Amino acid sequence: MIVGSHAITTETLAGAKLRRRKSLVDVSCDAVLALLLLVFVAPIAWMIVLSFQSDRAIISMFWELDLTLANIAGILAEDQPFRAQLVNSIAIVAGTVALCGTASTLAAYGLSKLKLPWWLNASVGASCAVVPLLPPMALVPGFYVTLIQTGLLGSLTGLIILNTILNLPFATVLMKIGFDEVPPALQEAASIEGAGEARTCWTIMLPLVAPSLITSSLFTAIMTWNEFLMGLTMTSGGTTSPLSVGIASLVQPYEVRWGQLAAVGSLAVVPIMVASVLASKRIIAGMTRGAVK
Amino acid sequence: MASTLGRRSSFFAKAATIPFLILIVGFGGYSWAQVVVMAFSHLRIESGNFVWTPAGLDNFRDILTNEVALYSLAVTTIFVVATVALSVVFGLVMALLVQRSQRLNRISQVVLLWPAIVAPVVVSLIWLLILSPNIGVLNKLLDTVMLPTQDWLGTEVGAIVAIIIVDVWHWTPVAFLMLYTALCAVDEEAVEAARCDGANEWQVIRYIKIPMLMPAILGTIFIRAVMGVKAFDEMYLLTAGGPNSATTLVSLHIRDVFFDQLNYGYGSAFSVLIVALMSLIIGVALVVQRLRRNRPFSAARKVQP
Repeated sequence: MIVGSHAITTETLAGAKLRRRKSLVDVSCDAVLALLLLVFVAPIAWMIVLSFQSDRAIISMFWELDLTLANIAGILAEDQPFRAQLVNSIAIVAGTVALCGTASTLAAYGLSKLKLPWWLNASVGASCAVVPLLPPMALVPGFYVTLIQTGLLGSLTGLIILNTILNLPFATVLMKIGFDEVPPALQEAASIEGAGEARTCWTIMLPLVAPSLITSSLFTAIMTWNEFLMGLTMTSGGTTSPLSVGIASLVQPYEVRWGQLAAVGSLAVVPIMVASVLASKRIIAGMTRGAVK
Repeated sequence: MASTLGRRSSFFAKAATIPFLILIVGFGGYSWAQVVVMAFSHLRIESGNFVWTPAGLDNFRDILTNEVALYSLAVTTIFVVATVALSVVFGLVMALLVQRSQRLNRISQVVLLWPAIVAPVVVSLIWLLILSPNIGVLNKLLDTVMLPTQDWLGTEVGAIVAIIIVDVWHWTPVAFLMLYTALCAVDEEAVEAARCDGANEWQVIRYIKIPMLMPAILGTIFIRAVMGVKAFDEMYLLTAGGPNSATTLVSLHIRDVFFDQLNYGYGSAFSVLIVALMSLIIGVALVVQRLRRNRPFSAARKVQP
């Protein structure tokens, strides 16, 4: 009896010790993780802080706090190209999402649900596999000449087409995964009811793949909004360029307006960060799903 | 599906792929053909029009004698190896930490998305605000704690280290998300069984989790390597290839040659060379993978009964 109770006490003691050690490990793991999270957030936060700081406080050797809205007001002023660039960026994103969404949905539907001749299947599949591997910079010389020949150099249409080409393979893969999940019985039922293939696609399939379409559109929109290389090389700058190129043009060899620079950066980034909080599950699904393929 | 399989492909089926093919094969393929043609030509602009003359292999011969071109291949290799290794290691560590943390699990997934979706050009701006010799907060911090300040972007080694750090900061979240998703799919029963057999946490990670994650790790390495070759935006603003061309990655070299030196043929030839090298490396990787899988006594075979 006594021996038994003694054994129990030592066991619970050992258990408590083990538990305490485990919780200590948990806490230190959490501390390391929190530190890492800070490393990833602090640089962004610092830019947002600087966008409310006066240039004098930014340049100062000491730690000063001189809050102002002048940076943001200066960027939004009438004589700045910022407004035109913002409109350009929004137009390019809207055009690319529409064109890319249409083309990718149709192609993915064909790949997933319809019978295609082998050479069509192979060429669409090969494009989806190869195009994402090519460095965009290697394609720039060709795009440049093609846009000159078609008279689209420097136009929003040209940038919409280029952004669509860069995003279309990935969007098509995402949409194909979406279509593959729709049971084929639905398609058969629709065709027995007498619906044509186009009508089946529009009224039966499209609502069912809406989540995939939203994910791929969101992804295309973010990639297009962030796109820099094509905007830089295919426009002549100023009011013809998208916002990302406008930001880069504020960095000049002499006299950089650091406050305004930080303000433009924040304005370009904060909307996407807010959207990402609301749709984080979708964006993560898009990133990881397409990669697994 | 049976009903569609029996039929021949319809007009609608073919029409559905037309927009895709016009854009990718038509516009994209035509543009790529231009690059290849340009690579074997001398190009001049006369009164607004391109004048093409065949050049044979001249442009490729120029690459071999151009020091900046050869250097850019070397520095890109260093950049890709360093950024892939660091971002996959950090991503793996963070995936393991996030999975075991109850308190920070949700917030980590939201917060770690941010660097990956910030525009690359803004990423370089963010790091310019940190590393700049005039206003950079890093020097300010060092100064406050009485440590010597550095001109981070002004020295050659410093600039290379800087672009590696920036790239790792930017893309580790992508590696994290891919590895974390794979980690969540690891069979809990195997982990529990190992714990019952007395394996400690480190042994579980080393002998159960990492082997089961291996396909995801290899996939992440591949994707990050491709991203590394593509890198352009971050360096364009941060270092512009300098100082003394120390950070001239292949993308920056192509832009410099094509748009600043207006050497169209040479720029295109370099593009073709990069794509050829990438295809070669990817092809070798695929063959090696296939050979390893077919080896009679490999680990993959042993698992299967």
